[in-house]
Amino acid sequence: MPERLRVVCYVNQFFGQIGGEEKAGVEPLSRDGAVGAARAVQQALGDAGTVVATVICGDNYAAEQSDRALAAMVALVAAAKPDLVVAGPAFLAGRYGVACGALCAAVQAQLTVPAVTGMHAENPGVDLYRRSVYIVQTGAEATRMLPEAQRLVALGLKLARGEKIGAPAAEGYFARGVTRNVVTETTAAERATAMLLDKLAGRPFASEVPRPSFASVPAPRLVKTLEGATIALVTDGGLVPKGNPDGIEALNATRYGAYSIEGKDALDAAQYENPHRGYDTTWVKQDPHRLVPVDVARELEQRGAIGKLHETVYSTVGVATTLAQSARMGAEIAEKLRAAGVDAVILTST
Amino acid sequence: MRLELRWFEVRELTVAPATALAGAPARLTGGRLEVDLEALRAQLSTDPRLAGVRLDAVHPGERVRIGRVFDVIAPRAKLDGGVDFPGVLGPIAKAGHGRTAAIAGVAVVATDQQSDQVAGALAVIDMAGPNAELSRFGRTHNLVISAWPAAGTARSEYLAAVRLAALKAGVVLAQAARDAEPARTEVFELPPSPRVPAELAHLPRVAYVFQIHSHQRPTGVDEGILYGDPIRRMLPTIVHPNEVLDGGVVRGFMGRNATTWAIQHHPIIRSLYARHGRTLWFAGVVVTVAHATEPERVRSAFLTAGLVAHTLGADGAILTKIGGGAPHVDMAQAAAHCEALGVKTTVIVEDMSTDGSAEGMILFDFPGVDAMVNVGGGQELLAFPAMERVIGADDLAPKLSGEMRATYGTLCGAIEQIGATTMMAEVR
Repeated sequence: MPERLRVVCYVNQFFGQIGGEEKAGVEPLSRDGAVGAARAVQQALGDAGTVVATVICGDNYAAEQSDRALAAMVALVAAAKPDLVVAGPAFLAGRYGVACGALCAAVQAQLTVPAVTGMHAENPGVDLYRRSVYIVQTGAEATRMLPEAQRLVALGLKLARGEKIGAPAAEGYFARGVTRNVVTETTAAERATAMLLDKLAGRPFASEVPRPSFASVPAPRLVKTLEGATIALVTDGGLVPKGNPDGIEALNATRYGAYSIEGKDALDAAQYENPHRGYDTTWVKQDPHRLVPVDVARELEQRGAIGKLHETVYSTVGVATTLAQSARMGAEIAEKLRAAGVDAVILTST
Repeated sequence: MRLELRWFEVRELTVAPATALAGAPARLTGGRLEVDLEALRAQLSTDPRLAGVRLDAVHPGERVRIGRVFDVIAPRAKLDGGVDFPGVLGPIAKAGHGRTAAIAGVAVVATDQQSDQVAGALAVIDMAGPNAELSRFGRTHNLVISAWPAAGTARSEYLAAVRLAALKAGVVLAQAARDAEPARTEVFELPPSPRVPAELAHLPRVAYVFQIHSHQRPTGVDEGILYGDPIRRMLPTIVHPNEVLDGGVVRGFMGRNATTWAIQHHPIIRSLYARHGRTLWFAGVVVTVAHATEPERVRSAFLTAGLVAHTLGADGAILTKIGGGAPHVDMAQAAAHCEALGVKTTVIVEDMSTDGSAEGMILFDFPGVDAMVNVGGGQELLAFPAMERVIGADDLAPKLSGEMRATYGTLCGAIEQIGATTMMAEVR
């Protein structure tokens, strides 16, 4: 790595001194050296690096032609052969913040060049890109450009030099929502006791695990009577035909199976197995209806209590499955059920 | 109830021929523990469930990887006629009182020499290299037990026999200290929970809820956990903390990031003892199990909260779990019931994420359960350097001796779910 890092800055039309809102349609362009707000980045870099180019793009163009704008900006960045990209800071400017996040993510992924940006906590770019991009927390307005630029540059230099990045609070970036094992000073037991005493005394305490913000999914209303409805059976309890034909994983599943029950009044235990590693499957293996009640559902169908039992059962293994995989599998299964005209689902879990 | 742990620091573990020890299987001289491995091996081989026993002594700094670790035991021996590991090794008797010899610097490591029946159950200890620093058991002198099942021995019986051998070995080692003067003595004395002196009545009363097993996998007949009981349908039970420290509780056979060693040194019990009478009043311990069905889980959660709030009269409680996802939720549900009764809680979780995302760290969101400490993520990958020798898991030796990438959960002693370790998953 060269001693003086080559740095490319990205700024919008305003911070690039092209103009205000009336110039927001300006297409991406590149200027040699540090232009406009990029001068603060150069000042912050000092001898550590040189801003070799400043890429400028109008906010409206970046927002309205986002794919085209991004491709053009990545090409302009690549042409300058940077060791580091510094985007913004965008403060509370929404279109600008989103563009900064998108550009940083793209240069990291496509050019494998480290990138850093900065913005205010309420900038929509934070939620969109904090997982993939180091975003330094800044104020809402550009009243303190130099100190903000210094903080971006400090983190950016660490990234460019491959140095160890500290915790979000220490480095001043938004938590990226990833976890990493670190060795602490005290045992978990000591920390738990101290935390409890703080909680009991009404003192502030810092939980080591963020509360999850699971989106609530309201159950839709069944618009028909049960007598006219097609009902499907879906489970994450791991019931699969013998041989586990879809190779559904014993934990951390990424696959699910669709299994026909056409012509079956009940499930024959001998034809099924269960790879699920999160619970004692003894009783389900003994009688699969304890998990997937085909027997009772058929009776209800024959009695006319439900319109029809859907002839496909969907099954996966729900243990240590990531939220992302769960959401994907759930959406895919729901789509197939809807396409097949299923009105309601009995979802059995363990 | 008063328990005295008499500590002996061992800095050197050596193998001695029988003639040198005058008939005793082990001898302690200063900081040196000499063991007649052949005599001890013969003693452990009498179990008809085992076809063969091998003992190895390994030391910090040796380029050795101990493979398929099943459990780790701290050498302890009751003095004055007390019973060792009552209900499992000795007859059922009250644990937690009297004097116990305890050896520091040495651990008994039981390995599982049967082929790996459950994928992912592999646990190893490195005696050298960076991972020796991450696990306490990389820094102890270890007596490693390898044993093979006799023909016709079922899996659960085999594991029971291996664990029994390890407990016996631990007792034999600690008995060598029987007549010696300890380096230090630790006293654990807790009066009956309601008897608080008036001048200490202002202290917050803190209970510990110790989940000692998860029935995700049902226990075997010989899988004694609480005084030898496989606790199959156990309801929440109050025990004296000394009973936990002194062999009344041992780990079950499913050992995900939990060892009997950690239970014998229980870090939360010690932490509460250390502050007892100063910044808190240690109100007692409730042992629970994670159940397999919903009614059992709910019943256990509200009974636990009732014992904590109404019987122990606690203002606060710390809860831990043993096992995977179901016990994690069971623990949180019990914590939520405690919070509903006005008892403030802190829970210790393992980072449950399998993809390193903070949103996957926990599997619950209960009101009030907002104070969480974590022991790190067992699924994060860790590099294991090549080693010269593998002990235990003979069938895997070629694979285990090489360089490998495996999870933090694979390194026995890096993460202890009851909080004995310093690992933490930091959200970044």
